[in-house]
Amino acid sequence: MAKIEFQNIHKSFGTTKVIENLNLTLEDGKFNVLVGPSGCGKTTLLRIIAGIGPATSGRILLDGVDISNVPPGQRGVAMVFQSYAIYPMMTVRQNIEFGLKNNRVPKAERERRISEVSQIVGLEPYLGRKPSQLSGGQRQRVALARAMVKEPTVFLMDEPLSNLDAKLRAAMRSELVQLHKQLQTTFVYVTHDQVEAMAMGDCIILMDQGRIMQQSDPETMYRDPDNIFTAQFIGTPPTNILGLESESFKLGFRPEAISLSVNPAPDKAFTHRVSILTREMLGAETLYKLRLRNGQEVMARLTDSSLMVGDELYLQVDEENLYFFDSEGNRVRKTLSQQYGAMLERVTRSHES
Amino acid sequence: MYSKHTGLDLRRGVTSGISFAFKLFMLVLFLFPFYWLIITSFKTYGESIVFPPTLIPRNFTLAAFEQVFSRLNLWNYLKNSIIVTLSVIIIQTLVGVPAAYALARYSFRGKGVMLALVMAAFMVPTQITFITVYIMMSKLRWLNTLLPQIVPFGASAYGIFLLRQAFMQVPADIIEAARLDNASELKIITRIMLPAARSSLMTVSLFSFVGSWNSYFWPLVMSNSEKVRPLTLAIERLKDQDAGINWPVIMAGNMIMVLPVLVIFLLLSNKIISAVGYRGIK
Repeated sequence: MAKIEFQNIHKSFGTTKVIENLNLTLEDGKFNVLVGPSGCGKTTLLRIIAGIGPATSGRILLDGVDISNVPPGQRGVAMVFQSYAIYPMMTVRQNIEFGLKNNRVPKAERERRISEVSQIVGLEPYLGRKPSQLSGGQRQRVALARAMVKEPTVFLMDEPLSNLDAKLRAAMRSELVQLHKQLQTTFVYVTHDQVEAMAMGDCIILMDQGRIMQQSDPETMYRDPDNIFTAQFIGTPPTNILGLESESFKLGFRPEAISLSVNPAPDKAFTHRVSILTREMLGAETLYKLRLRNGQEVMARLTDSSLMVGDELYLQVDEENLYFFDSEGNRVRKTLSQQYGAMLERVTRSHES
Repeated sequence: MYSKHTGLDLRRGVTSGISFAFKLFMLVLFLFPFYWLIITSFKTYGESIVFPPTLIPRNFTLAAFEQVFSRLNLWNYLKNSIIVTLSVIIIQTLVGVPAAYALARYSFRGKGVMLALVMAAFMVPTQITFITVYIMMSKLRWLNTLLPQIVPFGASAYGIFLLRQAFMQVPADIIEAARLDNASELKIITRIMLPAARSSLMTVSLFSFVGSWNSYFWPLVMSNSEKVRPLTLAIERLKDQDAGINWPVIMAGNMIMVLPVLVIFLLLSNKIISAVGYRGIK
């Protein structure tokens, strides 16, 4: 159980500044997911918590205690690496036991914990094997068992599923969520996959270029993005963003918020005439690429697969599904009628003509 | 179509035949001296000087070996060789492993210079340094001890370099995982790095063993009494006691000399071959 606080964290590699003045609190007992494109600094943050890649300046607090200068092995954290980082020359049992031995855990206690953990992750029949005799999924479990057996206050995971095949990944995903429910400890999980982040996290921290773009639960992250980056990073296809000439704001709406109809409905906030450019039938849903009159393109994700390339239709979006962003890309949270109603009407009309 | 096929087969046959003949030739080229050494040591003096030489001894005799043992206090020389060789291997490991680990895994001030020094030491031939070392050893009054044959070889540039390369192959993640498992640096070296670099360590030890065991010139210069001389110099003494060179006796001496090297090489040859690559776990 632990709350993690980053205070004024700076990190640079040589002359490259990766993180500048970052402040972040990860709540106790939550499944925290750090997500973002590669190079955004998410793994760097994880390594700062672990102590294996200390911050250039700033403090890291674990339950209010400054651990910036505590050696990695004494922080009470355990980490699962992307490469698993299993000790290749030790057996599965020795791998799991290594940390306990180094921490001088008595033998009886070691035995108890090893058998308990290996039962949970299903490694019991393999304790005597060398890692080279295990499959990818089994190695992953060794890495997990090695972390669990230490009974850490914080679990750190650096893209632990990225080396598994799709099927196993989906299975492990729900197993990890279950494990978190069972252990009730703080998890910090790094991934570049927004689907994984949405599926697993209680709390998502979305990063870009060393900055935190938004920190919230998955629901909020999806429905109420703080900026264009969040709106586009979360969800596939990404949120459509329309830059509107002569206006200082940008308009966004999700592909799944679009409805298409032959005749314009009067009650929709945003209506626009479009033609269908491409059609991708995915099974339950169909993706359409649409072209607006002014040449801009948007994606629509509909359950209706009956529309064909070349069809001319009306694109419509409800008022509550429209997002407005200022010129910096930050969300402007004001309802249409308060601020932008008139503007939008003008936009809609100008595009129809 | 048919003829084309056989033509190809014929060409393949010829190519592999040539390749086999070449390999056989190389094998004979390397093995024949050993064969010559072995059979000569079992010949009588008379047979060793007949022309044309015999390829199989007509009178198989151990007389040459008996002479070696009777003419020399072999045990003393053997003891010196063993002490020197083992000490060199042990000290080289104790010095080389931490040095290689530091050069492979830490970043510190002057690391580049230090590595360059190691490489430079690697390239300087001993012939250049032996006079200064001799003077040093003489001033230390070590010439009557085995130390001049041990201390200057306490660090091997080649060993440090090879071990550093092996340590660099160990993924950084594994070392970080060990740090998170609260392992001390010494434990990381002994439990993670050395097992991973086992083959390289064996290779380095084997080369120091051979180098030390076969060393001739250095102990000749650095010793002034028979008490501290190694086996290599003893074999030399077999030569100059008679008017003519007694080849079977010299070959018998050389057999005794080379046998441990051959045995160890045969035992470790797998390890040496695999020293080239480290098989990591992904």
